[in-house]
Amino acid sequence: MTLLSLRDLRVTLDTPEGPAPILEGVGFDLPTGTSLGIVGESGCGKSMTALAIMGLLPGPARAEGEILFEGHNLLALPEAALCKIRGRRMAMVFQEPMMALNPVKTIGFQVAEGLRWHLDLSRGAAESRAVKLLDRVGLPQPRFAPDLYPHQLSGGQRQRVVIAMALACDPALLIADEPTTALDVTSQAAILDLLAEVAAEAGLALLLITHDLAVVWQNTRNMLVMYAGRVVERGPTHEVFARMAHPYTRGLLAASPGALDAALPPGRRLATIPGQVPDPLHRPAGCVFAGRCPRAAEDCLPAPPEERHLGVAHSAACLHPHLEAVQT
Amino acid sequence: MALFLLQRLAALIVTLLVASLVVFLVMEVLPGDPAALMLGINAREDTLAALRNEMGLDRPAVERYFLWLGGLLSGDLGTSYTYGVPVWELVRDRLGLSLPLAFIAICLSTAIAIPLGVLAAAKRNKPADVGVMGFTQLGIAVPNFWFALLLILLFAVQWRLLPAGGFAGWDAGFWPALKTLMLPAVALALPQAAILARVTRSSVLETLGEDYIRTARAKGLTRRAALWRHAVRNALIPVVTIMGLQFSFLLAGTIIIENVFYLPGLGRLIFQAIAQRDLIVVKDLVILLAASVVVVNFVVDLLYAVIDPRLRGGGAHE
Amino acid sequence: MSDIGLRELATVWREYWERGRRSAGFVIGLVITVGLVSVALVSLLWTPYAVDVMDIPAKLQGPSSAHWLGTDQFGRDVLSRLMAGAVNSIAVSLVAVGIGAGLGVPLGALAAARRGFVEEVVMRFNDFTFAFPALLSAVMITAVLGPGAVNSIIAIGIFNIPVFARLTRGASLSLWKRDFVLAARVAGKGRTRITAEHILPNIASLLIVQMTIQFALAILAEAGLSYLGLGTQPPDPSWGKMLNDAQTLMYQAPLLAIFPGLAIMATVLGLNLLGDGLRDLLDPRLRRLR
Repeated sequence: MTLLSLRDLRVTLDTPEGPAPILEGVGFDLPTGTSLGIVGESGCGKSMTALAIMGLLPGPARAEGEILFEGHNLLALPEAALCKIRGRRMAMVFQEPMMALNPVKTIGFQVAEGLRWHLDLSRGAAESRAVKLLDRVGLPQPRFAPDLYPHQLSGGQRQRVVIAMALACDPALLIADEPTTALDVTSQAAILDLLAEVAAEAGLALLLITHDLAVVWQNTRNMLVMYAGRVVERGPTHEVFARMAHPYTRGLLAASPGALDAALPPGRRLATIPGQVPDPLHRPAGCVFAGRCPRAAEDCLPAPPEERHLGVAHSAACLHPHLEAVQT
Repeated sequence: MALFLLQRLAALIVTLLVASLVVFLVMEVLPGDPAALMLGINAREDTLAALRNEMGLDRPAVERYFLWLGGLLSGDLGTSYTYGVPVWELVRDRLGLSLPLAFIAICLSTAIAIPLGVLAAAKRNKPADVGVMGFTQLGIAVPNFWFALLLILLFAVQWRLLPAGGFAGWDAGFWPALKTLMLPAVALALPQAAILARVTRSSVLETLGEDYIRTARAKGLTRRAALWRHAVRNALIPVVTIMGLQFSFLLAGTIIIENVFYLPGLGRLIFQAIAQRDLIVVKDLVILLAASVVVVNFVVDLLYAVIDPRLRGGGAHE
Repeated sequence: MSDIGLRELATVWREYWERGRRSAGFVIGLVITVGLVSVALVSLLWTPYAVDVMDIPAKLQGPSSAHWLGTDQFGRDVLSRLMAGAVNSIAVSLVAVGIGAGLGVPLGALAAARRGFVEEVVMRFNDFTFAFPALLSAVMITAVLGPGAVNSIIAIGIFNIPVFARLTRGASLSLWKRDFVLAARVAGKGRTRITAEHILPNIASLLIVQMTIQFALAILAEAGLSYLGLGTQPPDPSWGKMLNDAQTLMYQAPLLAIFPGLAIMATVLGLNLLGDGLRDLLDPRLRRLR
């Protein structure tokens, strides 16, 4: 049984102007011990997917479909049952480390809190485990004593504390939503390495969400590309990067600076994708990318294209995908 | 931290000094000759002059100011013109009423307001929240002396459960004395509770929107646990500051409420002293009240530093 | 807040009116406030009975068709006195808030524009007035000047000044740092001109909300002062004084204690709702938290 399996996940947000379809039929499988990257620009719904899995969607959002985790459909579980799973079997690391920690409680308390809540450990036992966790994420004693407060740490250090909190109860799934976007470049690399390391060591499944193709390239085995609430391309990372069948994926690549030079032709210029992501309330009937796509044709307009296989595990939701490999 | 303390202390002293100056000047402007007030209008001129000399009224203003200031600092508050007893005695007797009254009012107000505010925030926009907000709107709009009258109408006139005024005195027994303080305390507490509930609600709402609440929920804490363990604790920090400010409103309230209930407290004393032109009592009381407000705010500032570790210093490590 | 020039202000306000109509609190508050002001204005021309006509045989009656709200201890019609009292409350509060804003706003704007020593002086003055509970200052001032409506205006006005000064200074300070102000300074505009053309129009909405709130507080303060005998003097009617008179008569005519208080409460409630509604309308950030 796959650890995490999403089937036809649809999330609708109630707005004053009517219901907005944020996610339309998102699905994927994530087996234990593997890593999956979800990449896309802001507003494509990747964070909403993560929140839907955790059951932490904002109030006016409704989710339908199936989220199967360790055999249970999370969307059918009552809140109390979800509370037992969150933090225990699956954990999440968020984007903004600056305010992710409670400023008036010590880091030791916050790391130990999950241990005491789920595993019912005594204060002493929880604190000693917290110290070990802090050590594991690169915050060794005695410099990073558990009685430090968050404001005494830098952004990168705070993110490490958040990771320690996430790992506390040995979860099977770790979701990282743009974990390094708010950090400086050196911290970014360090945090990503840390995530990869702990995932490998604990045999965790890692779901890494980012807008940065370079992060996906270096840290995930499989990947999905999302656009406007849908999956437009998926497959093993190296294969997707080699083929880049969906025009949007190519556009993303062309627009990515620096770190991707290994995968790209030298001397290329940064490009932009003309146009804007359509408002969820006003999505077109056909392929949602058609308005911005240089390869759009008549048959793209009536209905959104289904995903079609282009390789063993590689598929793209496009009627006119790039079939030639990416030039290097 | 030490610097923070010193700065606040300095500000406190300056404020008090300026306040004392203003009080003194304002009282100078008050028409009326205290000596004539004490001796009556038929007193002879030389007796008046002798009394003025004795009371020190014929000395220059600057000298009198410093004499008064010195007296305050050494505990000598002078003698009341109208009562003829040391002001300190007057204050001490009245404190025995005003302090317990203020204390009960604060306890009542906090006990009502904070739970209501948290409840309203937790059930935002649901019936409980709307109800609480409606109640607080009324509570803020109600003049506290009118609310006092309503309480008297209900509890004293209609049901005859509690007295309509007056203070039994602690000698009459703990419970009888307390009964006379009940209605006044409730009348004082209500508008404060209304404001405090609103402040608590908006503070909790704001805290609930912070990222660390989401982190707590992601750890598996239930909504209720995240609310009480993280949100409320943090939300109370600004609320404590407001409570400090409320102290001064409370004092203002006692002036009126003590008049409504004919309670011989500090508020009523001030009022009577002003009416009777008993300058010494007025000066001393006003500065005492101002000083207590300033000191309370100072303590609140200190408390703030205790509760919020970010203010204690110690910046980011690298 | 984006930079809104004086001309665009009118268009913006029309837009707000459209939005305001949809908010229940705002509408109720507006209705009550307008109702009150109308009653007050009407009473200047006409009241059911003359306000000070005594009719001792008809004293202390309950509500009847002749006297809708009954009569007081001198046989005077309660409704008429309530209406006239409205004029009094509104007049005192309006002028007092006017003084407070009229002096406080320039002080605050000056402090924000000049910084340095001037600002320090203004802020110390503010801090120190906050040390005195408002009613206490009002009582002291009316004691010094003597009781009466005019003096209570001055007393209430005085303790409104620091409120507006503090608000204006705070809001102006953050505006002074904004880009459009920097642009104006670079263009050579003087501080007074910048204050008049850029700062004040942008804090206008904040000031209006605060004025509504202070107006409500002034009504309460005036009622309190009148209750204590320091405000409007008899025979001019005032709600606070009516309550004071009613207190001694509570056993005989309890209703007398209810109507003036209801009037005060309704007025303050209406103004508060109006102020809250305005604040929600004018500051989109706060709207989210409701």
